Amino acid sequence: MNRERRIEIAEITRVEGHGRVEVIIEGNRIRDVKMAIFEGPRFFEALVEGVRYDIVPDIMRRICGICTASHSLASIRAIEKAFNIIPTKQTELLRDLLIHGEVIESHALHLFMLALPDYLGFPDVIRMARKHPEMVKAALMLKKAGNLVHNIVSGREVHGMNDMIGGFSKVPNEEELLKIRKAMEESKRTAQLAVDLFVRAGTPKFVESENILMALDPGEKFGYIGDYVTISTGDYYPVEEYEKLTNEKSVDYSHARLSTYRGSPFMVGALSRLLLNGKKLSGTARELFKEQKDLLTHRNSLMNNLAQSIEIVHCVERCIEDIDALLSTGLVDEVVEIEPRARRGVGAVEAPRGVLYHDYTFDEDGRVVKANVITPTAQNMANIEKDLRIATQRLINQPDEKIKRVLEQIVRAYDPCISCSVHLMRIKS
Amino acid sequence: MERPKIGVFSLTGCGGDQLMILNLEDVLLDLLSYFDIKDFQEISSFKEDSDLDIAFVEGSVSTKQDLRKLKEIRARCKMLIAIGNCAISGGIQAMKNGQMEILERMKRVYGIEEDIYGVLEPKGLSAYVKVDLEIPGCPIEKEETLRAITSILHGDMPDQFDYPVCVECKLKEYPCVLIEKNLPCLGPIIVAGCGARCPGLGLPCIGCRGPIKEEANAAAELEVLLSKGYDEEHIVNLMRIFCANFGEIKKITEIIRRRSGKGRQE
Repeated sequence: MNRERRIEIAEITRVEGHGRVEVIIEGNRIRDVKMAIFEGPRFFEALVEGVRYDIVPDIMRRICGICTASHSLASIRAIEKAFNIIPTKQTELLRDLLIHGEVIESHALHLFMLALPDYLGFPDVIRMARKHPEMVKAALMLKKAGNLVHNIVSGREVHGMNDMIGGFSKVPNEEELLKIRKAMEESKRTAQLAVDLFVRAGTPKFVESENILMALDPGEKFGYIGDYVTISTGDYYPVEEYEKLTNEKSVDYSHARLSTYRGSPFMVGALSRLLLNGKKLSGTARELFKEQKDLLTHRNSLMNNLAQSIEIVHCVERCIEDIDALLSTGLVDEVVEIEPRARRGVGAVEAPRGVLYHDYTFDEDGRVVKANVITPTAQNMANIEKDLRIATQRLINQPDEKIKRVLEQIVRAYDPCISCSVHLMRIKS
Repeated sequence: MERPKIGVFSLTGCGGDQLMILNLEDVLLDLLSYFDIKDFQEISSFKEDSDLDIAFVEGSVSTKQDLRKLKEIRARCKMLIAIGNCAISGGIQAMKNGQMEILERMKRVYGIEEDIYGVLEPKGLSAYVKVDLEIPGCPIEKEETLRAITSILHGDMPDQFDYPVCVECKLKEYPCVLIEKNLPCLGPIIVAGCGARCPGLGLPCIGCRGPIKEEANAAAELEVLLSKGYDEEHIVNLMRIFCANFGEIKKITEIIRRRSGKGRQE
């Protein structure tokens, strides 16, 4: 008997933005899996058309409240490439510091406040804090340390303005950098606590399957800025060729446009970065990565949480390293000449959730002729649906409530940022 | 005392204003403990369909679904607080309002003609429902928000800023970026409350807190920036980033459109 069974999560909670999951089962067969987005579109690419380059980053960093510095840096890097501006060593270090701070803030928010309640059996961090007040307070201080970087380097926690084309308007002083350094020293223990918590919590295996991983090649050291994309298939591409990798298309079973690589879904984010670039880690993060090597398999996307926790350890140490490098040479004010050109530039960074591309074409006065942005959550969407399908198939004999909890946990493990992704997604009304 | 029942909601936006509340790390757990939280999708799976004493809403009304949700929220709450510029005036996504049809924007970005989203021209909440308090900013300021919430807990309505960013800039004795660096600063027409954050970093104000209500003299600002050598189109784009839905700015867009003779679609 082919009775239709429908499992629906009307609104996914503890994620940024508004999304819904719907699974339709016929007998023992899954007919349809949809991760539908009902966040309103904002059409950023149309907003910047005709706008002069110097206010483009101010507009584009507002795509996302959480990964605002990532959008900012991707936007700035795209413009700098178009105009052939080479940032100074000091600017590169400050940008490296900024994006590492952002990853701390974003991962701490996701791991402790959004994901961990799943593992410890609470509906939210507020109720979790009643039972584990010290842990939650420590997590908030870790998050605050990440935000301190935003504040000092970019001007504020959300939608900073100090990071701009060519460098920084006001270069932070020694006292400010030492303040961040102190906060990072004090965060080391909490950062490692996150790793312990996710190792001990144990990660379910209901999504185990093959995954293609994709990340930027950060160069010599592990990090979040790069110009080439490395793929677990062994392929390697300059970011300018991103359209080959994100290859969006509509598919008949879903209203979302899905990114695929050579016809297969792929995964971006912390787990992809660690598995592709983990050999470039140093310090405590390297040790932890080695210790957890068996757990961190490309076959289990839920391990993204554990990968994020190891990344926090890396980021805390890296912020200290960047600050020491900046202080050893001393900080100077720098002025960079900007000369617009009628050219195209593609800038990419690893946002907390994965590879983020900004692509602009300018006219000779430096006005945007065409813009395109591809966010990590949009790239992950096909893989999320794949995992939802696999988990549902494995749990098909379980009651709806159990399946719903698992599906929501899977979506959350990807740490999706739906607001960001929405300009690429078709909604289902 | 019974704790006020609250909900925190988002319509179309970046989530940055809710995030600013979560960024109150030092006081967050204490602050939240003063309230009985009935709905806060971004951080909680707990949800109860009860009446609310206060609803905090961020984001613009950009789809028919946003509008339905807003009306439901209004019907269940005693006090509706718009947090952030998207909720006040449509925010950055309203930038091309009156310049490019919303369906045209959709066609350019998605390459589709059919309105599968149920899109609306982005507007703030007060275009559709009664709003009891507006907390400006893109994003909102933490301290201002905390002060507002504390006032409300004490049964008062918070004070609102009614003077421009320039006043704070002078009080802090920052060099004027408009006069000394010839930067296109919108400080004279934008409402204070940020402590002149951008001029403090040597940058021009781009208007993220929105214009001073009833008093922003955008025409005078336009003349000043023209005299500094900026072209009209750039000045208008700049003013429209955060203020496209305000009467004064709409008027200026229209004047310039007529002057330049560019027949942009309305």
